[in-house]
Amino acid sequence: MKQGAPAETSREKSEIKRPVAVRARDLTMDFGDGAPAVDRASFDLETGRFLTILGPSGSGKTTLLRMIAGFQKPTSGEITVNGHAVDATPPHRRSVGMVFQRLALFPHMTAAENVAFPLKMRRYDPRSVPGRVRDFLDLVKLGDYGERRINELSGGQQQRVAIARALVFEPELLLLDEPLAALDRKLREEMQLEFRRIQHELGVTTINVTHDQREALVVSDDIIVMDGGRIQQHARPVELYRMPENTFVAGFLGVSTFVAGTAFPGGLKSGDLHLSGTHAGEIAEGTPVRGAIRAEQIRIVAAPDSLATCDTAFPSRILDVIFEGERLLYVAESDRLPGVAFQVYHHDTEAFDLYEIGAQVTIGWNARDMKIFKSTA
Amino acid sequence: MISRTQRILFWAIVWFSIVILSVPTLIVVGASLTAGNIISFPPEGLSLKWYGEIAMARDLRGAFGRSIIVSLICLAVSVPVGTLAGLALTRFRLRFTNAIQVYLLLPFTIPLIGSGIGMMLVFGSWRILGNVWPVGVALAAINIPFIIWSVSSSAASLDGDLELAAANCGAGRVETFLHVTLPGVMPGVITGGLLMFVLAMTEFLVSLLLTDARTVTLPVQIYNNIRSIITPDLAAVSSVFVVIALFAVWLLDRLVGLEIFLKSK
Repeated sequence: MKQGAPAETSREKSEIKRPVAVRARDLTMDFGDGAPAVDRASFDLETGRFLTILGPSGSGKTTLLRMIAGFQKPTSGEITVNGHAVDATPPHRRSVGMVFQRLALFPHMTAAENVAFPLKMRRYDPRSVPGRVRDFLDLVKLGDYGERRINELSGGQQQRVAIARALVFEPELLLLDEPLAALDRKLREEMQLEFRRIQHELGVTTINVTHDQREALVVSDDIIVMDGGRIQQHARPVELYRMPENTFVAGFLGVSTFVAGTAFPGGLKSGDLHLSGTHAGEIAEGTPVRGAIRAEQIRIVAAPDSLATCDTAFPSRILDVIFEGERLLYVAESDRLPGVAFQVYHHDTEAFDLYEIGAQVTIGWNARDMKIFKSTA
Repeated sequence: MISRTQRILFWAIVWFSIVILSVPTLIVVGASLTAGNIISFPPEGLSLKWYGEIAMARDLRGAFGRSIIVSLICLAVSVPVGTLAGLALTRFRLRFTNAIQVYLLLPFTIPLIGSGIGMMLVFGSWRILGNVWPVGVALAAINIPFIIWSVSSSAASLDGDLELAAANCGAGRVETFLHVTLPGVMPGVITGGLLMFVLAMTEFLVSLLLTDARTVTLPVQIYNNIRSIITPDLAAVSSVFVVIALFAVWLLDRLVGLEIFLKSK
């Protein structure tokens, strides 16, 4: 089980490589107040792809984006866009469009004037400006709103103006600095798909910053997970979710239960219990490890027999039942693993509300679903 | 919930304030409409003859013209200086921001009589006393905190990313200032500018010290006239001041909206 290469990886590898649009090498930003905000970040982004930099607040993701936009000068390291080093280029000479967190639309201008501003500043032929502004307002479905002032538009419409303004001069690169964070959930999900549509339509290389793991999984071709200023993992969404490389990534995406123990061939040992799992890389037997198992990968049944196909199964007791609408979240604990509260998603098309608090159940999983990492502590 | 007594108390205070604040103005305007020859309230009969009188009076007309010039000079000095200072204090992380702020607010901490005498001495030694323009410069200096405040509060309410967004759109520093920053703080500039104009029109103490018989401004001229005999023409001049002030408020409302002015400190 150790070397089990998942199907996703081989499929990804067979894809044709596209030219690299953005290349970052050892980018470091040190504000001189403790640990660097961004610590030796390196990555390549292929042309036309949608990359999301995902991380909690303070992970350095916005600083990384601002260095690419040219608002902050890296302490060291190098950025190239389409093969040209841009470190010496001031922000207004870079071909980068950006949608800001609070949008930063110009309040004294109409929607159309906002969209026309980059064209004016970049010395486009004045005769071509009105047509181009109209095309891009149409692209974001705001064709009839050009003459409105910014404060006369709804939150979603303002988003769209900001997108049009960032794209109207056809930049080599589009940057999104958490522009959706302030929207309510429904509008946010609508705008996520909208970003995706526009990005596909124009094929512009995009870097998006967010702390919302769902948004990252939904919109991205690639995801970089950052924490403490460092890139933790850079992968395709499915790969990232299925094959986290360390405990931070495993814990940041999805809902996981962690079990501490020592490495054992084909799993880990915790107390007298052997849990089946997949080692992330070579781990010698007896090494302190942590296993991570996702809530949707744990099966929960009343009778132990029905888990015969699982690699690991043991009896547990329900501690809590949380109703989340489309599914239930059970919290279960085993007498043999005291202190570990397993979080289990349960969705059954036949029956709902099967177990009550205190019920005796059996939980189990397959070895490929528990990821085992060396303990960092 | 507001109880009945609270409501009555509230309205009593409101009306008391309105009456107290407006009574002097009403009396002056009323007195200016008198048909008699001595200033009195209520007026003896109604007429506009004193307005005709002040329109014909050469000393008042001359003083009025000089007050306008002084106010325009004050504007010409204070608007650029106050705007740039207000922007610098809010938009940039400067070293010594606090020290600069205190320094710019110094005119408020010095009694006007003190700064007036100081400027009189300095202008005297520079041999520029006796001109009209130094009065405008002096009034700009003593009232500059007003426009700095007004621009600062306007600038503070602007999104900090606006200038970055402008740069991202391809605007250089000068273009960013002209197209984004300046229009953004325009309400503060207009508010501060009108305030400076009205303050310069009505300033008395410093003007008294810096003017002589040839350069006397309107408030000083009124004071000179009071010292001889008090006639209803002074009430008429005061009413003209009231109208100018009301006009400024109206203009402010039209240009930026009064609520913005009231929100600024």
